[in-house]
Amino acid sequence: MSGFLLSWAATVPDYAAPLLIAALGLVICEKAGVLNLAPEGVMAVGAMTGALVVMGGQGPWTGLAVGALAGMALSLCFGLAVVVFRADQTLTGLATVAAGLGLSGLFGRDAVQKPFTGLPRFGETGWGADLPRLLGQQNAVIVLALVLMVAVGLWLGRSRAGLRLRAVGEDPAAADVAGVNVQRVQLLAIAASGLLGGLAGAYLSVVSAQVWVEGMIAGRGWIVVALVIFAGWRPGMVLVGALLFGGAEALMPRLQAVGVAFPVYIGAMLPYALTLVVFVVAMLRQRGADVAPAALGRVFLRQDRH
Amino acid sequence: MPEAPLLIRRQRVPGWLSALCYAGGLILGLAIAAGLLMALGVPGPSLWDEFIVETFLTSDGLSQTLTAMIPLALVGLGSALAMRVGFWNIGISGQLWMGAVAATWVSLHGIGPGALRLPLMLVLSCLAGAAWVGLPLLLRLKWNVSEVITTLMLGSIAFLWVQHLLFGAWRDTTTGFANSRSFAPEERLPLLGWGHLHAGIWIVLGVTLLGVLVMATSRVGFYARAVGLNPRAARAAGLPVLGTIAGLVLASGALCGLAGAVIVTGTEYRLSQTIGGDYLFSGIVIAFLARSQLLAVLVVAFVLGGFYTTGNVLKMFYGVSEAVVLLTQGIVLLTVLSAQLFSTYRIERRGNA
Amino acid sequence: MTPSDTSGRGRAPALLMRDIDKAFDGHPALTGAGFRLEYGHVHALVGENGAGKSTIMNVATAVYAADAGEVIVDGYGTALRTPAEALSAGLGMVHQHFRLVGRFTVAENVALALGGAGQPCSLSEAARRVREKAAELDFRLDPHARVERLSIAEQQRAEVLRVLLLGARILILDEPTAVLTAAEARALLALVRRLADEGRAVALVTHKLHEVAGYCDRVTIMRQGRTVLAAAEVAGADLNDFARLAVGELPDTPRPAPVTPGAPLLEIENLSVRRGDGSAAVEGLSLSLRAGEILGIAGVGGNGQPELVDCLSGLSPAVAGTVRLAGQEATRAPVRRRRRAGLAVIPADRSDSALIGGLPLAQNLALTGVWRGAFGPFWWLNKARMRRAAETAITERDIRGGGVATPAGLLSGGNAQKLLLARELGPGARVIVAHSPSRGLDLRATRAVHDALRQAVREGAACLLISEDLEEIMTLSNRIAVMNHGRLSAPMPVAEASAQALGALMAGHA
Repeated sequence: MSGFLLSWAATVPDYAAPLLIAALGLVICEKAGVLNLAPEGVMAVGAMTGALVVMGGQGPWTGLAVGALAGMALSLCFGLAVVVFRADQTLTGLATVAAGLGLSGLFGRDAVQKPFTGLPRFGETGWGADLPRLLGQQNAVIVLALVLMVAVGLWLGRSRAGLRLRAVGEDPAAADVAGVNVQRVQLLAIAASGLLGGLAGAYLSVVSAQVWVEGMIAGRGWIVVALVIFAGWRPGMVLVGALLFGGAEALMPRLQAVGVAFPVYIGAMLPYALTLVVFVVAMLRQRGADVAPAALGRVFLRQDRH
Repeated sequence: MPEAPLLIRRQRVPGWLSALCYAGGLILGLAIAAGLLMALGVPGPSLWDEFIVETFLTSDGLSQTLTAMIPLALVGLGSALAMRVGFWNIGISGQLWMGAVAATWVSLHGIGPGALRLPLMLVLSCLAGAAWVGLPLLLRLKWNVSEVITTLMLGSIAFLWVQHLLFGAWRDTTTGFANSRSFAPEERLPLLGWGHLHAGIWIVLGVTLLGVLVMATSRVGFYARAVGLNPRAARAAGLPVLGTIAGLVLASGALCGLAGAVIVTGTEYRLSQTIGGDYLFSGIVIAFLARSQLLAVLVVAFVLGGFYTTGNVLKMFYGVSEAVVLLTQGIVLLTVLSAQLFSTYRIERRGNA
Repeated sequence: MTPSDTSGRGRAPALLMRDIDKAFDGHPALTGAGFRLEYGHVHALVGENGAGKSTIMNVATAVYAADAGEVIVDGYGTALRTPAEALSAGLGMVHQHFRLVGRFTVAENVALALGGAGQPCSLSEAARRVREKAAELDFRLDPHARVERLSIAEQQRAEVLRVLLLGARILILDEPTAVLTAAEARALLALVRRLADEGRAVALVTHKLHEVAGYCDRVTIMRQGRTVLAAAEVAGADLNDFARLAVGELPDTPRPAPVTPGAPLLEIENLSVRRGDGSAAVEGLSLSLRAGEILGIAGVGGNGQPELVDCLSGLSPAVAGTVRLAGQEATRAPVRRRRRAGLAVIPADRSDSALIGGLPLAQNLALTGVWRGAFGPFWWLNKARMRRAAETAITERDIRGGGVATPAGLLSGGNAQKLLLARELGPGARVIVAHSPSRGLDLRATRAVHDALRQAVREGAACLLISEDLEEIMTLSNRIAVMNHGRLSAPMPVAEASAQALGALMAGHA
């Protein structure tokens, strides 16, 4: 039993890290008042681009970086539409997902199902071969994700730039009077969420799977959207949520590995069902408590008559 | 920062302007998609040939396009009904899967006499679709839980359930493929003798006509408009707000379920893994581009049906992934949404102050 | 920056605005308007609602961009493009809706704006400066208090303090006393006087003439987007002249005649209502309203009035107590049953809670009738009958600016309110709940609203009039009560109610 728990615990961070990274990006974006449903598409583009770069002979870190940049590029298309053209944020988010899934399918067609060597785990490196299993299963990006979480938390909560960003999400008119360039802050926040979303996607192909398959994001982008709501837009709680969902996702392969007979597709429903339940519980718990950024999803226009 | 131009919200948007912006966004989106395809090596003239001539102007192509349009129109009508009362039904594909499952279940278990088999399959698929949207609806109405996530998650769950059935109890034992066995002839929608076009087209036309009539002449349309525009004021005036939302959203789920049944009884003749994948965004795209007008849904679904026909051709002859259809939907939605800026606002250079 | 730095004093005016035009999508709000403000003065900007007072001040602080005209600060005609640029030029505005982030503390709100990118201001530094400035202004203000938890008056102090901390030498206050009790208003006006005496320039937007007489040096009067009196001396002038200029004619205010009330139509006992966040909005409220009378409920905004209206309308539940409408138990009744019993509601925010801007006028009128079957059976809606009803209402209520097919959102405030009156005050109306029914309306429309309410009451209805406008309450009501922190004082006959007594009740001193 303890062997099972240990092997399960060792794989949880690998499942949780992409959720954590993408959700941190989304927290930044939504704290600036932009309702962003795009992660599923942004992650797909990041995963596809990262895989293509590594298959083209570049190192895994280059793959991760280019994947992140590709995610940012798509995210900026979303940003252009909602911030500059003031399009409806829900519909634009959905359109961005469609475009991202379409782009990754179109340009990744020739790369499908071709395994490659991505980022090694600690246990596979020369210096880390003797690490205990719990650590040896991890990799550098997981460490980076934890550092990122602390950094995002501190930056949002303590820095002046974070204060200004939160002001935009709470009351853009007040931020505007205080000299904050609302549109620029929102565009930067969207870019940051794209960068992290792309990185999370690239992690899935370059680090976790070490192969690119169309549809490999498999709803994780939507789980991220729900996770951020569950976490009440707090980076610390995002980690809790990522571990919860990552843990659920990691459970099925482990159960299969130890030979528990369980219908595989029913088991695969677990993350989605869990998301549904947790999301509903979070919405019920937050009712009336106003944890969401007050201006989330609203279009700000200084000329509007108030 | 350069000086940003001023945006002034228009109180009254002239019809011609909004049509112009719509057309501009549409053309720009299609041009970007065409440019991408040409960059991928599809020659421009053959793109024109495949999309316009072969899909709309030849008898073969037209029948294919019309066949592809049938389920698209049904999910588009479904989305439009839900969108009218401000409900984001994003789990269309889940309701479609459940409709297909319900129809297949009737076939596999041989429920009811042969003559009533097909109607029973269609009715049950409506009920299944409505039931599948029922939970998100209940959560939204009772506790204001956002339906975007709940409908989506139920969509994924429905898909996995179909997989579970197809790789398990419902697998076709004669071939061993992950399909259900074929439907009996009386369980299929009759072909109309023009390509693969089947009687589903009459269902689409009938449903649209009924929808238009109900919306135009009964209180339903009146309530739906009021609730969609300002639910609070509608409630304060005594309108049945919850009933209106529930009715239209359940109808939306029913139509999506029906779309699933129409696919399995009209074109596939069995439940397979591939039937519902394309419909995740189509419903929303059609409903938005049709501005939730039911008659316009038919037109948009027809054009989008052409996309799917073209997509299949491009895949076969040019090796372009069918993801191009999804990409085009995304791009067109983005450009049309963005172009609305020019009709919603008046744009002015800064005064000379 | 301290006021003594204001070298412009005595030479160039602090703020000079000339020939300002501003239209909102073709509807002119300002036409050739002007304003001239000197250092050391409190300058009143007077006019009716919709005269353009707020608009011209929003142009001054670059919240709105003018279509034409010039804005000159301290003699320099630099173009101010954003409110932040205006603030760094010394122009600070205290808006009606405070520009403070509700979930931030006072110190965080100050830190947000203080110091450019080069010189970030830490929270402790911001808190220290808030404390210093508060001491200087004799404010009691906790820098670490969340703004949304402060009272309206405290929030206003925080806003004034922030604007001053940011170096404003020209201070614009947009109807600052509208949300204050009499005592709070006096304290604020005294502060404003002191700031001007220290050398700053203050523009005070108001429609209360006694504030002009008591605290201001100069007065500018606006009417229908134009400046009709520019920078006149207040000392020695006749207030009635100002009133005539602002309004065009002096209102005669008929005092309500004593009535012999009929049967009780609205009986409320121990009613309690909570807000969305669970806090108590209405607590143990009881009243009895009889046919033929208007009961006025006065009080400063935010004391539970909207929650009371929502509860009586059937939009939000009561947590305790009972409500009887026309003799029927209605505490938990749905909207339909209340309306069948004769409830009519004129909410404070008609575009949010009563009218549907995107629907044509005729359909807005039919909103309460369709479900009762007034326009045909369920499956057949009689649109011709709807149109005829609308045509009748347009003529009878003198609704201008649109026909039966015009979207209600395009009507002006006064005409939209007349549309709502036409719908709500039909023959079936027995209990009328009216919340600030004339807010934002010009004099003519206000008169139409008041006449319609009086008429309905004469015909046997009962009216619960909830208003923050004391004059409206005194003009219309037979009895008056005051709402404070969700509780209602004992109603008194209008003859016994004085402005002072009501003011004391509103402040919660009684």
